[in-house]
Amino acid sequence: MANVLFLEPNILLAQAYAQALTLAGHTVRVVQGAQEAIHAADTALPDIVLLELQLPAHNGIEFLHEFRSYPEWQHIPVVVNTALYPVRIQAARQVLEEELGVVDVLYKPTATLADICEAVRTYGAGVAGGLYPGSAS
Amino acid sequence: MQQPAAGLGTEWSDLLFAVAEQLKVPLTVIARQAELGEMTRQEDAGHLQIVRTQADAAMQLVDSYLLGLELLRSQTALELEPVSISSTLVDTAHALTRFAKQYNVDIAVDVGGRYEPVMAHARGLRAALLSLGFGLVEAQATPTSGRRTPRLTLAVHRTPHGIIAGVYGTNDSLHADVWQRALRLCGRAAQPFTGLSVGSGAGLFVADTILKSMESSLKAGTWHRDRGLAAAFQSSQQLRFV
Repeated sequence: MANVLFLEPNILLAQAYAQALTLAGHTVRVVQGAQEAIHAADTALPDIVLLELQLPAHNGIEFLHEFRSYPEWQHIPVVVNTALYPVRIQAARQVLEEELGVVDVLYKPTATLADICEAVRTYGAGVAGGLYPGSAS
Repeated sequence: MQQPAAGLGTEWSDLLFAVAEQLKVPLTVIARQAELGEMTRQEDAGHLQIVRTQADAAMQLVDSYLLGLELLRSQTALELEPVSISSTLVDTAHALTRFAKQYNVDIAVDVGGRYEPVMAHARGLRAALLSLGFGLVEAQATPTSGRRTPRLTLAVHRTPHGIIAGVYGTNDSLHADVWQRALRLCGRAAQPFTGLSVGSGAGLFVADTILKSMESSLKAGTWHRDRGLAAAFQSSQQLRFV
C-alpha cells in the first residue's frame, strides 16, 4: 500500500479522493498548495504524488520544477490529475513527461475515483528502483 | 452554436467560456461524491449512480461546448489525422450505455464491413459523437417517439460522398426539415426541436459545431427504419493500403 501525497485545491474533491484511497488501503495526505506539499514531502517521503496543475499561488509546473530539484525526490512518480482540457495541455505534455517525470496525466472531470485508485496501484509501488522518467538513478 | 460566438461580442464569449470552465468544478464534485457514496453506501447505490451518470453527461456537454467555442473563437480547424471510425463508434456506444439505460433506451452499434481510417480529429470526433448521442438518447425517450422500443444505433456505411458515421433512433420526428428549422432556431427558441427534445437540444448543435471544424457537418439521415443525424468523412488515402 502506498503513501500518497495529493495536491488538490478543492476541499470537497480532496475529501472524496482521500476517502476513496483510504478505503483502498493507502495512506493519504491531502494538501492544497505547492508550499504545503513541499513541507509534507519533507516531513515524510511519499511513494507517489498526485497533483492538479491549477493551484493557488504557485502552479503545478512550478511545484514540479521545485520538487524535482531535490535529488531524493527525483525518483518519486507523479501523476497529474487536472481539470485543464487535454487539448490545452498538449503542448506542455512533453515537458511534463520527459523533464518533470510525470508518469500519467488524468483529465479530472472524467477520471473516476476508481481511475485514481488504479493509478496509485499502478505507479505507487516499486519506486525504489527509479523506474520512472525523471528518475535520478 | 450556428451563429459564430464572435457575434456575441468578445467579452460575452469570454464570459461564457469562463462560466463553462467554472461549471466543471461543481459537476466534478457531484460526480465524485456520488461515486464515493456508491462505494460506501450500498443501500443508496442505485440513486447515486443516477446522480453520477447525469453529472458525467452534463460534464461531457460542457466539455464539448468549450471545445466548440474555442474552435469558433480561434477560427481554427482541428488538425486532422487518420482515425478509426469503427472503434470510435464502439467507444462512444460504451460511454453512452449507462446514461441510455436510465432512460430505458437500448444502445446498438452497427459497424459491419471493413472501413479504412477517416480523416478527423480523434478527440473532437469522440466529443461530437458523444454530444450527439446524449442529445438523441433523451429524444428517443420522449412520449412522441413512437411505439417501438426506444433504441439508438451508432452506425457507419460507405457512400460516394465518403464514409458516413451517424447516430439513429426510433424517434420518427427527425426529418431533414426539422433539423434545418432547428438550426435556424438555435439560441432563439427554448425548444428548437418540437417533438424531438423538450430542451434546447444543445448537444446536437455542439456536435455540429465541432464537426464543422473537421470539414464535415451533421445532416439528417436514415438507417434502415431509424432516423438520425450523421456526418460524412473522407477516408485516409495514406493508410488505405496499409
